[in-house]
Amino acid sequence: MLEQVLELLKGAGVYAWEVTDEKTEGWEFYFIRHALDQNRAKAVEHISVKVYQHIGEASIGAAEAEIHPSATPEEARRLVERLKAQASLAPNRIYTLRGPDAAHAAHRNSAGVDVPSIAKDFLTTLASLPETETEDLNSYEIFVSAVTRRFVNSQGIDVTETYPRSMAEVVVNARSGREEIELYRMYNSGSCDAAGLRRNLERTMAYGRDRLRAAPTPPLGRADVLLSTDDVLAVYRYFAARLDPSMVLRQLSDWKLGVPIAEDVQGDRVTLTALRELPNSSRNRAFDAEGAPIRDLVMLRDGVPEHYLGGRMFSAYMGLEDSFMPGNLAVSGGSRSEAELRQGSWLEPVEFSDFQVDPMTGDIFGEIRLAYWHDGERTVPVSGGSISGNMHALLGELRLSAETVQYDNWRVPALTRLGGVTVTGIES
Amino acid sequence: MKAPFSPYLLGIRDGLARLIALLERDYDYVSALAADSVGLAVNISQHAKAVRSETMTTERGVVFRVWKDGLYSEYALNEFDPARPEAAYAQIRRALDAQMALLRATGTQVYETPKLPDKPLTLFVEKETEQLPETADVGALVAALTAISDRGMTLYSRVIECMASAQSTHISKLFLSRNRDLSQSYVYSEGTVAAVVMEHGRNQVGYESLSGLGGPELFAGLAEKLDKAVQTAVELLSAESIEPGEYEIITAPEVTGLIAHEAFGHGVEMDMFVKNRALGKDYIDKRVGSEPCTMHEGALCAEDVTSYAFDDEGTLAGDVTEIDRGILRTGICDALSALRLGVEPTGNGKRENFEHKVYTRMTNTVFDSGDSTLEEMIASVQRGYLLEGMESGMEDPKHWGIQCIIKLGREIVDGKLTGRVVAPIIMTGYVPDLLGGISMLSRDRQVFGSGGCGKGHKEWVKVSDGGPYLKTKARLG
Repeated sequence: MLEQVLELLKGAGVYAWEVTDEKTEGWEFYFIRHALDQNRAKAVEHISVKVYQHIGEASIGAAEAEIHPSATPEEARRLVERLKAQASLAPNRIYTLRGPDAAHAAHRNSAGVDVPSIAKDFLTTLASLPETETEDLNSYEIFVSAVTRRFVNSQGIDVTETYPRSMAEVVVNARSGREEIELYRMYNSGSCDAAGLRRNLERTMAYGRDRLRAAPTPPLGRADVLLSTDDVLAVYRYFAARLDPSMVLRQLSDWKLGVPIAEDVQGDRVTLTALRELPNSSRNRAFDAEGAPIRDLVMLRDGVPEHYLGGRMFSAYMGLEDSFMPGNLAVSGGSRSEAELRQGSWLEPVEFSDFQVDPMTGDIFGEIRLAYWHDGERTVPVSGGSISGNMHALLGELRLSAETVQYDNWRVPALTRLGGVTVTGIES
Repeated sequence: MKAPFSPYLLGIRDGLARLIALLERDYDYVSALAADSVGLAVNISQHAKAVRSETMTTERGVVFRVWKDGLYSEYALNEFDPARPEAAYAQIRRALDAQMALLRATGTQVYETPKLPDKPLTLFVEKETEQLPETADVGALVAALTAISDRGMTLYSRVIECMASAQSTHISKLFLSRNRDLSQSYVYSEGTVAAVVMEHGRNQVGYESLSGLGGPELFAGLAEKLDKAVQTAVELLSAESIEPGEYEIITAPEVTGLIAHEAFGHGVEMDMFVKNRALGKDYIDKRVGSEPCTMHEGALCAEDVTSYAFDDEGTLAGDVTEIDRGILRTGICDALSALRLGVEPTGNGKRENFEHKVYTRMTNTVFDSGDSTLEEMIASVQRGYLLEGMESGMEDPKHWGIQCIIKLGREIVDGKLTGRVVAPIIMTGYVPDLLGGISMLSRDRQVFGSGGCGKGHKEWVKVSDGGPYLKTKARLG
């Protein structure tokens, strides 16, 4: 079907077109405790087509749809005709799609992915964790896929990439007497990082033990908050979103190139870098979803925006010809060690109901399921209450550890300290 | 008009039946769920306009479920030649046999489950709609949404962006097994208007939405939502922070729906009972709310985005009374969990799409109405807030903890709205306390279906929820 679609588009007489053909072979295993609840497999292909049409001299419109591999030639022809008609109805400012360059010419697709082998690694790793009488796995789900993605456009780009994509969802139980709690984890990766998975789940079991003996979170008013788990990604996604051309052009972000994002900074200034590769990331790609080559590039250096990065349309509007949608991102470590950042009093939430940072308003929220409260002398596990604040106000009081840690497609400081966060205890 | 059932599914039906017969040589139960759902999505803003023939639930593909020796296995594909079912049979066997070899090699034990009963049933349902997304007048829709976006920019000087979006999906699904032959076709639609305002470098967003069982004709109601969306955004610019504490609250219907969804939606999904992940299992026929508190769940108990005739396992849609005057009566259940628990399935087995596994999922989750007016409810509050606008929620079925992010609160003192607005608000608490504190419910009720619901942090499906204005007590921060 793909070749038929390409032929139809080449003869369609449209301003431009793009096709993404993604083939996935996936294996899935679902467990209750360590007994297999269900096994699943899939072999699917998704062909997405986007057609652009001129609307007058200065505008183009676009329409997109999936053409199913089971479509008949007549269905495919009718769908392309419909896309042509729809594309002429929704005018946007004119821009051109990206064409091929040296990166496309030099690209060679990598070898295939061994799905059964990766699946075996997950199965054996999760079956052999050091569970105890009071901490164990309630259930888990394993997803392993081999993805082959081909992107073709009317400007001459034609690139294919094959890569692994995996995910493990794990629910951990911890109990004390009749009381039992659960902790939820979702691990995305390329293939199975057995050592990392084991390390993280052992730590999760320790959190479970502590949550069972946690005291109510005291009403602290304002306190310094330490983030040492992957919840911190919500904070750093805020930075990436504020540097997206679609946010900047629409004034949803007021961050300007060369202008510090915050004044009177008492803590560390953030450096954010787009990376083409991180070890075992599920997002290691040579090209983004629109065929743009991905490269290492500093977006924010010491709190000053250097490059906006994002999708083609808004990048083109801003004259950013070499922009791309980053897959992997890294936040550089700060000037102090983890141990130094743990000086004084702090609250370290390690389990939230759902920690959120709104990229548009900067509001942060999270209900605390487990935190460690350190009053300067001793550390106690606490539970309940919430933290809240706004990133605009917190940017001046952000401190980053020198040590870094990787969570799938992000490498970030192992410890991030936010100053002056509102902490609502459950005794208030 | 009737939403016509997919010609594609009619065309592959006999081929699927032949493939099921082939698989029955090797497996003791075989079924197929085939989907061919088409849609239209139009998104308009001041800076970008887009037309797509895809929505969250458009799909075309087939998933086969087989059972042997106590184990259910599934295989999903989207390239099927009905004239050559033998090819798909070989493909399915090859993959599942390879999986079984790995499972044997790793010494994996099976969680044994009985065979589905496969009671005989034939059903063909085409629900009513005025329009279809695949034949909608896209030009007129683009023009209408553009007019909304343009008008939004004129309503207040500090509006920097105004978005209007509309999505409509025509669902067609076919469930086939040896004894069941079920077909359904229906259309649902949803739309949103959102305004972004900026002042002193700070942004605020106000939005309003609509949804329902029906086609693009529903979008005629979007324009009248715009003023409220802009007004909310503007109010948020001058909103104050709330002083954390416990308050009397009145929840607007969309917030009531969020509570229903998070409190006793996820909390009584019975696949969680199988895994011992939900406290609700131990509270059947016990009090979990106050006397005025009654809650329903089911595809039949409202007409909205998930009001289907049968679920993704071929179980007929239901209407379950989960909480009856404060007493938890039952949960909701998919077919395999029902077998494991020894109960009847409730028609709540749903997949994100044909590629995904079935889980117990919500459909329409709604509180029943009461006999008060909103005015009476406000007059009864000494010090509290009227909470409006839902942002998101998260539950903890194991402990009945609940977190709701709410757009804003309107202060009430001595039975009167003071005009003071606080935002944003995080409402947290213990579900039985929250429901146990319900003292008044309004006579009217609304249902909302413009969002999606995940299980954990994945498996996104359409749901709707709602209810009346509801008065209770909660911790706000």
